[in-house]
Amino acid sequence: MRRSDKYRFWVILGVLVVLQFSLRGRLGGDRVAPDFLLLALLIYTIRAAPGPSAGVGFLVGLLRDALTPASFGAGALAHTLVGYLSSWSKAVFFAENLFVNGCLFFAGTWFRNLVVALASGKLKGGLLGWELLVWSPIQSLTTAVAGVLVLWLFGRHLAIRLSDA
Amino acid sequence: MALGADRYASRADTLVFIGCVLLSVAAMSLPDRVRDPFTRAVRQWVLAPLLALQQQTDLLSASLERYDAVVAQRDSAALAATFVPELRSENTRLRGLLGLGARLASGYVPAEVLHAAEPTSPLTFVVAAGRKQGVKPLSAVVSPEGLVGIVSTVDAQTSVVVSWAHPEFRASAMAADGSIYGIVAPHGTEGPRTWLLELQGVAYRQLVPEGTTILTSGLGGVLPRGIPIGTVVRAAGEAEGWERTYLVRPAVHPAAVTHVMILTGPPVKSDLRSVFQSGGETP
Repeated sequence: MRRSDKYRFWVILGVLVVLQFSLRGRLGGDRVAPDFLLLALLIYTIRAAPGPSAGVGFLVGLLRDALTPASFGAGALAHTLVGYLSSWSKAVFFAENLFVNGCLFFAGTWFRNLVVALASGKLKGGLLGWELLVWSPIQSLTTAVAGVLVLWLFGRHLAIRLSDA
Repeated sequence: MALGADRYASRADTLVFIGCVLLSVAAMSLPDRVRDPFTRAVRQWVLAPLLALQQQTDLLSASLERYDAVVAQRDSAALAATFVPELRSENTRLRGLLGLGARLASGYVPAEVLHAAEPTSPLTFVVAAGRKQGVKPLSAVVSPEGLVGIVSTVDAQTSVVVSWAHPEFRASAMAADGSIYGIVAPHGTEGPRTWLLELQGVAYRQLVPEGTTILTSGLGGVLPRGIPIGTVVRAAGEAEGWERTYLVRPAVHPAAVTHVMILTGPPVKSDLRSVFQSGGETP
């Protein structure tokens, strides 16, 4: 990995964080717009080891919890799990493929929402079903599309090898 | 932070993971008095720039939406404003027409002009009154300002009016004081000359001052006497030293007319001069 690529990697992650607080509000409702912050975490976990991924996930979750104090801690737990499992499963199972990465983004987003919903205890019954079966899949899909787009455009700078398979 | 492409979880990774999970669980069980100051501090010191960015973006978005709304309102107001003079003018014309109707008392049919979107429409136009309303060919068509033309063709519900600008239009005319007689015809058939009339056949020895009002004379029995045709602008020429021709500015422009009166029968007064003079005093 070249030194300039390393900078670009962090710049791209930084841009995703900025997009979360700028562009996201114009991409539809909160429940369906792509989660750029989680996307940045997932892209980070593609290249990082599970431990650091879990740590970064924890920090990202904690920051998000500061914005939703009612479910404080649930975001930290969810992002920790997502970060660790994403990084670990990438190393063990997944190939470096655009579609596979898209699936990872989809599953990561949906799993994060599942953990937040369960850990916070705020959603029950029908609301939980709607969240997990309707809203979460939509948000997961938009996040996966955004993630695939980022990898397709900047995969070279992220030093992620994408096969044709 | 080290980045490794191909790796499994080491013991250190697992310990970090377990530590983060425990911290998360601990965070979930924090009491409000501990949690709230912590989250406030994170928002104020860590997330402040990002929240400011979000706030600015929201403001920008709201401003853009408001801008669109303001532009739409301004456009609507501008559009409405463009119609105000038109509406006032039409209102005045309609009031004048109502006054004219009252003064004529009987023997007329009010009609709406059905303008066509063609360049030649002021030469001949269609009005929404026909045989069923009592309109007959060669009836005089007037507006409160004066003569507009004569009816050419009559259908059941509509009629075709030949305006004074039509090349075939002719009217027997006289000065307002009855001292001079002649024939009024369009001044030209092309360009701006089309929108002027000329008074032909005035005796050479008779001079018509500028500003003299020209009315229909009633000779020939087609048009009633006393309908304003226009005002003399200047002398246009002489023919062989025995007659003069004068340019006449028409009293009414056919393209500006929206409603007219068609004189269908013998008016109460044989001379309509007083009817139209009263019309000039109507506000």
